[in-house]
Amino acid sequence: MTSGTLDKTTSGFVLAAAVTILFNTALALAKDVSASLTAGMKQLTGHHWTTHGIADLILFLVLGFIFSQTRLGSKLGANAVTAILIGSVIVASLGLAIWYVFV
Amino acid sequence: MIQTIDILLLAHAAFGVTGCLAAFWAFIEALNAQPGNASRIKTAAWITAFCMAASWICGGYWYVHFYPAEKALILKGPWPLAHNFFMETKEHLFFATAILAFLLPLITREKLYANAAARKLVLSASALIVITGMAVEGAGAVIDHGVKVALLPNHSK
Repeated sequence: MTSGTLDKTTSGFVLAAAVTILFNTALALAKDVSASLTAGMKQLTGHHWTTHGIADLILFLVLGFIFSQTRLGSKLGANAVTAILIGSVIVASLGLAIWYVFV
Repeated sequence: MIQTIDILLLAHAAFGVTGCLAAFWAFIEALNAQPGNASRIKTAAWITAFCMAASWICGGYWYVHFYPAEKALILKGPWPLAHNFFMETKEHLFFATAILAFLLPLITREKLYANAAARKLVLSASALIVITGMAVEGAGAVIDHGVKVALLPNHSK
């Protein structure tokens, strides 16, 4: 094991995944709070869940390309983007579980 | 007779479990990353991504078209939390598992046997896929049981 860096595409898409996973939870909570948002998302594809999934995918791809081109992930460093990814999954998962326990 | 609705639901669960197993395979291979198993790590990563995409399509079609009837049964039955907590969490947590699964083939392009940071990243991402994926699978079993207890007349008495 000699190298400790990630290429710009890898680190960019890892960061994009972390942001998308947090966005996914935020959007789920927002849909619960706002009936008009849920209705608007339903109008787009016929079901709010379908729109939700497509929005996640588009965000992941777009942010991945942007973060790769701007080298944002590379600037943060390999260990930082890995920690951000792990942290985002923990926060997003607990956020969903706690929300649906109390709502 | 097995109907399309049953095949879709079983395929959704089967692809999900297979995706988790493939992610676990990638995790084990990455623990012992060498030039000799680099192609196996990539294969495991692509199988993970393919299985999660297939699980998404099968489960998504079933959820949108067939779940509303089961949801109504669950909510009238003795286990409404099967929908209110388990399905609500599962249907959104699955997206996180899927995004991680789509990320895995990208990050396994790195030379893991020569790059400690990339190896750590692949180990983390594949472990997260297994953990969140199995949580989603478990939630699916609870949802299924929520329907079952709603249909058993003596269960709620």
